[in-house]
Amino acid sequence: MLVEVGHFALVLSLAFACLQVLLPAFGLVRGDTSLSQLSRPLLWGQFFWILVSFVVLTNAFLVDDFSVKYVANNSNTELPDVFKMSAVWGAHEGSLLLWALILSAWSVAVSVFSKKIPSQVLNHILIILGLISIGFLLFLLLTSNPFERLDMVPVQGRELNPLLQDFGLIVHPPMLYMGYVGLAIPFAFVLSSLIRGQLDSTWLRWSRPWTLVAWAFLTFGIVLGSWWAYYELGWGGWWFWDPVENASFMPWLVATALVHSLSVSEKRGAFKHWTVLLAISGFSLSLLGTFLVRSGILTSVHSFAADPDRGLFILVFLIIVIGGSLALYAHRASLMRSENTFTYFSRESGLLVNNILMVAAMLSVFLGTLYPLLLDSLGLGKISVGSPYFDAVFIPIMIPAVLAMVIGPFLRWKKDSLSRVGSMLTWPFVGIVVLFVLSLLFSDNASVLLAVFLFIWIVLYSCFLLYQRLSNKSSSSLAFFGMITAHIGVAFFLLGATVTTQYGVEKDIKMEVGKPIFIQDYQFVFKGAKGFSGQNYQGFKGEVDVYYQDDKITTLKPEKRQYVTGMPMTEAAIDPSFYRDIYVALGESLEGDSWSLRLYYKPLIRWIWLGGLLITFGAILAAFDRRYRLSSSRTVVNRQRVKS
Amino acid sequence: MSLMIIFIIMIALSIAWTVWFLYKPLKENNVSLEASNIALGKQKILELKQDLDQGLIDQSQFESAKEEISTTLAVELNQAHEPSSNNGNSNNTLSIILILILLPIISLGVYESVAPNDPAVQKLASEKPLSLQESANKIHLHLQDNPEDIESWKMLGLTYLEMGQLDSSVDAYEKAYQINPEDPRLLVDYASALISSNDNKFTAKPVQFIKKALELDPDAPDALYLAGMFAVSAKDFSLAKSLWNRAMSALPESSPDRELLRNIIAEITSIESGSIQNEASQSIITVNVALSEQVLLSRSAEDFIMVYAKSAKGRPMPIAIEKIKLKDFSGKAVLSDQNSMVSSNLLSSHKQVVVVARISQSGSAMKQPDDIQASSDVLTVSDTPSIDLEIK
Repeated sequence: MLVEVGHFALVLSLAFACLQVLLPAFGLVRGDTSLSQLSRPLLWGQFFWILVSFVVLTNAFLVDDFSVKYVANNSNTELPDVFKMSAVWGAHEGSLLLWALILSAWSVAVSVFSKKIPSQVLNHILIILGLISIGFLLFLLLTSNPFERLDMVPVQGRELNPLLQDFGLIVHPPMLYMGYVGLAIPFAFVLSSLIRGQLDSTWLRWSRPWTLVAWAFLTFGIVLGSWWAYYELGWGGWWFWDPVENASFMPWLVATALVHSLSVSEKRGAFKHWTVLLAISGFSLSLLGTFLVRSGILTSVHSFAADPDRGLFILVFLIIVIGGSLALYAHRASLMRSENTFTYFSRESGLLVNNILMVAAMLSVFLGTLYPLLLDSLGLGKISVGSPYFDAVFIPIMIPAVLAMVIGPFLRWKKDSLSRVGSMLTWPFVGIVVLFVLSLLFSDNASVLLAVFLFIWIVLYSCFLLYQRLSNKSSSSLAFFGMITAHIGVAFFLLGATVTTQYGVEKDIKMEVGKPIFIQDYQFVFKGAKGFSGQNYQGFKGEVDVYYQDDKITTLKPEKRQYVTGMPMTEAAIDPSFYRDIYVALGESLEGDSWSLRLYYKPLIRWIWLGGLLITFGAILAAFDRRYRLSSSRTVVNRQRVKS
Repeated sequence: MSLMIIFIIMIALSIAWTVWFLYKPLKENNVSLEASNIALGKQKILELKQDLDQGLIDQSQFESAKEEISTTLAVELNQAHEPSSNNGNSNNTLSIILILILLPIISLGVYESVAPNDPAVQKLASEKPLSLQESANKIHLHLQDNPEDIESWKMLGLTYLEMGQLDSSVDAYEKAYQINPEDPRLLVDYASALISSNDNKFTAKPVQFIKKALELDPDAPDALYLAGMFAVSAKDFSLAKSLWNRAMSALPESSPDRELLRNIIAEITSIESGSIQNEASQSIITVNVALSEQVLLSRSAEDFIMVYAKSAKGRPMPIAIEKIKLKDFSGKAVLSDQNSMVSSNLLSSHKQVVVVARISQSGSAMKQPDDIQASSDVLTVSDTPSIDLEIK
C-alpha cells in the first residue's frame, strides 16, 4: 500500500507543478498578487510530495519489497543497506525520480534564497521551473514509473550492477544531476526575462551565483565520475571520450562559457546575445545528454535504459524546449542590442575569445559524439570516433583558450594597450622562461614541456595577479579569489593530464609467484592469490609487494569478485600519492599459481582531480561573493528623477 | 484504511496547504524591478570607483564606463513596465474553487490513467509484503474461487517449492498440468518439483515431461538443462555436454546461467577423466556450529538450521547441504558427497568452497530477511577441513 502512496504522491507533485504554472500565471496576467505569490507554496508542495515519493521508493529497497518491479530488478536481500539506498538511483526510473527531486530542490533553493529579487520576477522564474518539472514528472509517470508492481512477486530480487556497488555511485550521479539540473536555473532566469521583455541588470546579477553553483556541481560530478571510472572500472584511465562522458562534458563547456559571458553582460552590459544563447544551450545540452543516455541510442556502461518510447518523449520535450526558447529569443532579439563598445584588445575581447573557443570545443565534441550516430541512423555505415579524433581536434582549441585565460585577467575593460600589459608582464615572463629552461633538464617530451610551460605560466601569473591586488591594499572580492583558484585548478589539471598520458606505464603481464617485475624504479613481486568471500560475492584476492629502490613501500591486494548473479568484477588496488599512483588489477588465473595482472604506473594522475576540485572550489568561492548578498534599496525611487 | 481514503486525505492536505497561503499570503519583498536595477547600477558605479582607486582603470575609462552604466540603466528603465498589482483577496473564492476542482481532477485523473488496472496487482497494492506462507494462503483462497487460473496454480507450486514443501508443490503443479498439459514452461517446472521430491532422482514421469517440453520448444534452456542432468544420471556424459552446449547457445550472451553451464560442463569433463573419483573419499568437511545464547532465546526450536557448502567461485546455490530442525541439531554437521544436491555436482568435484551455517524459519534455500547466518573463509576441499562457526 505504501508503494501506491508513493506513486500517488508523485502524481500529486505533478498536480502541484501544474498549479504552480497556472495560478501564478493567471495572477500575473490579472495583477492579482494573492494568486501570483502562490508560486512559492505550490513549489514547496511539489517538492514535499516528490520527497515523499522518493522516501517511499527508498523504503521499498530497504525492506526488500520485490513486488515493485524496479526494486526486484535492482536489489536483493544480500545487498548491503548502503547500496540498497544508492540502488534507488542505480537504474533509469529511480535516477529520473532523483532528477525530479533535485530539480524541485533547486527551485526551492531559488525561492528561499532569492529575497533580493523582485517578487514579480521570482514568480516568473518559478513558473518556468514549474513547466520544466511538469515535463520531467510526466516523463516519469508515463514512461518510467518506478512504482510499477509485479503481479508475480519473486522471492528474491536481481542484483544491482556490481560496477555500481561502490561509493562512487552513492555520490557521482547526485552531484552530476545537481549540475545538470542546476543549469535549469539560468535557463529559467533567461526565459523569464525574455517573456517579460526585460533583459536587465537584475536577471544578469542574480543568475550569476546560481550559474556558478550549478557549474561547481557539474565540475565536481564530472571529477567524481572520472575518479570512479579510474578505480572502479579497472581500466586505469581517467577519461575515455565515452559518449556519455561527452554528454556531461558538453554542457560543462557551455556552462564555462556562460559563467564568463555573464560577467561581461553583468558588468558591461555587452554579450547579451551570447549569454542568452549560452543559457539556453547549456540546459538544452543537459536535456540532450539525458536523451542520448536514456533513449538507448548510446551503448556504454551508462546505457542502462534502452527504450525508444522514452527517447521519443525526451526528443519531443527537447524540441519544445529548444524550439520554444529560440523562438522567444528571436522575438526579443531587439532587446539585446548594446551600445557599449570595446576595442579588440580589452578584457571583453579576451572573454569573447574564451567564449568562442569553449563553444568551438563543445561543437567538436558534439560532432564527434553525434556524427557516428547520425551516420548509423541514416544507414550510411558504422564509424568509430575515439580519442585520436578528440585529441587532434580538442587539444589545439584548448591551448589558445588557456593562453586567453592567462592574459585575460590582466586586461582592462573596454580598452587596453599591448604596451601597458606587455611592460607589466615582461618580468614575470622572464621568470617563466627561466623555470621552463630548467625543466628542459628533466624532460625532452614536447607535449610535457608545453604543459610544464603553461603550468608555470598560469601559476606564476595568477600569483603575480594576486600579489598586485594584495599590494594595492584593496579589498579583493571572493569572486577574484575564486577566479584565481579555478585558473590554478586548470593548471594542475593540464599538467596532471599531460604527464600521466605521456609518462604513464601500463603492463598487462603474466606474474609468477616470487618472480619480480620492474616498472620505472618500482619492483613488483606477486605473492599469490587466495579465495575469500564478501556479503554478496566471492572471489580471489591477490597480494603484490611493491618495492622502490629495494625498500618495500606497500603490499597491494587487488580483487577479482564474482557476485551472486555471476557477474565478475575487478577491484583494483592502488597505492596513491601526490606524485604518482601505483595501480594493480587482478586478471585471470593461469597455469599453476601464476595469474595475469595489469600493472600501471601513473605519474601526477591525482593532479587531474585536484585540478577539478580547485575549479569547483573556485566556483563556490565566486558564488559567495559579497556582491550577491547586497540588498537592493527597498524604496521605490521616483522614475522620472532617475531618468533625468 | 483503504487506499482511496489515504488518497483523499493526501488531496485534502494539499488543498488545505494551498488555501492556507491564499488566505495568509506570503510577504512579497516589495522590491520593484526599477529599484532593483537602480540599486545594481549604483553598485556597479561603486565597483568602478574601487577599480579606479586600485589603479585598474584610469579617470577617462572611469568616466566612460560610468556613462555607459547610466545609459544602460536608462534603457532598462524604459523597458520596465511594472505590472499593476491588486493586493486584495476579493477573488479568493474563485481561486479556491479553481484549486478545489483542479487538484483532485489532475491528481485522480492522472492516477487513473497511469495506475495499474490489473485487479491482482491492485489487490497486492492494498496489502503489505507477504511472507511465503501468507502468499501460499492467499493464492489458495484465490484458487477456491478461480480453480481454472493456471498461473496461480503455477505460482502456488513455485511458492511451495521455495518453502521446501515438495509434495504440496507437486500437487499444485499437477492441478496446473490438468488445465494445460501443453505448456513447456510448466512441464519443466513440474519435472523439477517431481525430481526434488524424489531425492533428486529422475523417474519416468519427469523424464516424460522433459521430453515433451523439448518437443514443444526444442531450444528451452531449462528443459535442455534438466535433460542434461538426466543424461548424467544415465552416465551419458557426452549427451549431457551436447545438451548443455545447446542450452548455452539458446541463452543470451549476458545470461549468468551461461557461466553455470560452462562450470558444470567442465566438471563433467573432469568426471569423465576420472580425476574426481580418486579424491572423493577425502572430500569431507566437518562443521562445528556454536549458537549464541541470544540466538537460542530468539529462535524457535522448530526453525531449521542449514549447513551447506557453496562454490568459492561461481553460483551461490549449495553443493552439499545438511538441513535439520534446531531441536534435533547436535552442534556438528558433516558435509560430503553423500549430501551433495545433485549427483553431477559432487562436493569432491570442487577445489575450494565456502561453508555457510544458516538458521531459517522457512527452511527456504534462498536467504529470507529474518534468517541469520555465519560463513567460513574459503576452504580447500581436499584438506578435509574441520571448522568452527558461530551464529550470533
